[in-house]
Amino acid sequence: MESNRSFFVQLQVLTKRMVLRVVRRPLAELPNLIISAFFLFVYDGALGGVFGGTASGTPFDFANGNFINFILPVSIVSASLSGAASGIYLVEDIESGVFKRYQSMPISRWAIILAPMNVGALRVLLQAGLILLIGKFIGADPEVGNVGFLIVLSLAFIWGMGFAGYSVAAGVKSGSSQGAQAATFLFFPAIFLAPTFVPREQLKGWLETAAAYNPTTYVIEGMRSVMVQGWELDILFRGYLAATSFAVITLTLAVISARKATEKA
Amino acid sequence: MLAVDVKNIKKTFVTKQETVEAVKDVSFQVEQGEIFGLLGPNGAGKSTTILMLTTLLSITKGEASILGLDIVTKDKEVREKIGVALQDTGIDNLLTGKELFFTTCRLWGYSKKDSEKRTMELLELVGLTEAADRRVKTYSGGMKRRLDLGLSLVHSPDILFLDEPTTGLDPGSRRVLWEEIKRLRDNGVTIILTTQYLEEADELADRLAIIDEGLVVAEGTSDELKASIGGDVITFSFENDSDLKNAKNVLNDAIEDKDQLRITVENGAAKIPSFINDLNKNGIIVSSVSASKPTLDDVFLEVTGYRLEGSAGSDSSNELEVK
Repeated sequence: MESNRSFFVQLQVLTKRMVLRVVRRPLAELPNLIISAFFLFVYDGALGGVFGGTASGTPFDFANGNFINFILPVSIVSASLSGAASGIYLVEDIESGVFKRYQSMPISRWAIILAPMNVGALRVLLQAGLILLIGKFIGADPEVGNVGFLIVLSLAFIWGMGFAGYSVAAGVKSGSSQGAQAATFLFFPAIFLAPTFVPREQLKGWLETAAAYNPTTYVIEGMRSVMVQGWELDILFRGYLAATSFAVITLTLAVISARKATEKA
Repeated sequence: MLAVDVKNIKKTFVTKQETVEAVKDVSFQVEQGEIFGLLGPNGAGKSTTILMLTTLLSITKGEASILGLDIVTKDKEVREKIGVALQDTGIDNLLTGKELFFTTCRLWGYSKKDSEKRTMELLELVGLTEAADRRVKTYSGGMKRRLDLGLSLVHSPDILFLDEPTTGLDPGSRRVLWEEIKRLRDNGVTIILTTQYLEEADELADRLAIIDEGLVVAEGTSDELKASIGGDVITFSFENDSDLKNAKNVLNDAIEDKDQLRITVENGAAKIPSFINDLNKNGIIVSSVSASKPTLDDVFLEVTGYRLEGSAGSDSSNELEVK
């Protein structure tokens, strides 16, 4: 019989298997998507009246007349946290013994580790994409045109991969799906110690300092730059730099912990 | 060439709190085409031994080879030759049996077309064709074990490692799996299985090793092991604990087993009267006595000093009871 054991075939087969798992547990996908959409509607409903069109000409006119454009990045960042599911997928395989089965076969260990991250990436793209569609439907209109949506999506993707790496590292280190799940608690400091509702200049005291050290700040500001301000390349660059740095650090941690997990005891 | 050659392997786990010698010194050889059983209680070191031989765990000391391939230096080649169904190798419950076989075939390098063909062959082989499109979470315990067995056969391995393949199964499902294991052996597959069931070891294993506390304490065919303890097993029961203790002083070679004494002698039935006489002379009242041919259970008791949990006790088929 013909034999093809290339890395890419293995990765594709393992990714497909994991996609099937995700598709067969649709309810597990809903909470994060609903929370992200909820943020969009609630924040727009609660604050859109104050900071939207009626703020024109006042000191609160930071949304340039369209609060959806301003708040949409917060929901997108929230949606990109769905990448953290990668760690949960991987640890579920470790806990169930499926991981051990694959280890007993001549399969690339990197294919075993990368498959859940692939699915995490797909999840981020899907959830962030859906939130963008909802945003577009309720009035989001990037200042730089529709290409702004793609920029926001790309930033969300990189940021989500950072969370995927973090959850894989945390999950493998703890050896339990609860450990991987705990990674999502980062959500709160990540999203609320940032210029979530107003620009950074309007934050005060310790929150302003915390936001300056929070990489989420730069990702949100990068997204907002194309949504609200136009082509502000330095802000956009800082957004990509923050997201990429976070992703590189956490993916390195994921690789180190995964390598330890696949070594023989 | 030997299928499996294990020489003095040892496994020590070192943690911050303690050092555990899970396998102290295990050696055995397995010929091609035989079923070799590793019999022992939980924690004896059976599964650790299997994990080392299947290249999933490093060896602390000693050496082992599979079909002449060193398991440390040739681990990748070894994995090509072996099939593995371990106690804790999992099955993806969200996929169907067919999807699992297809995925595993693809991972072993079969093309899509060949994977489809092999999937149907294996579903047929393990009797799961009708359940092929059902998700595994709906399978019974026995079906899952058969699926697990089938998954370990995807690449037609020369050697199959089965770690407690029937644990938790009802007697009917256990019988079905035994027949499949025997059929594989008859088709030339070498099988190394661990079990804590005496009946399973007796029924399946062409040869077996008894492992206790990380050591091989006996090895041979079931008949050889039974013959090694010699003659018949005489079992005495007493009215009270005091008689049991006193009897132990009279019958020096006897082994205490719960509230009974057991002694192995040649021509047991003929010697019962003289034993009872000796005990009576010492004021000990025997409530019942029986003689039977040794069973694996007796062999286990003889070499380890205790019984396997849940074992049936002596084989009543050859029992002669005297009241």
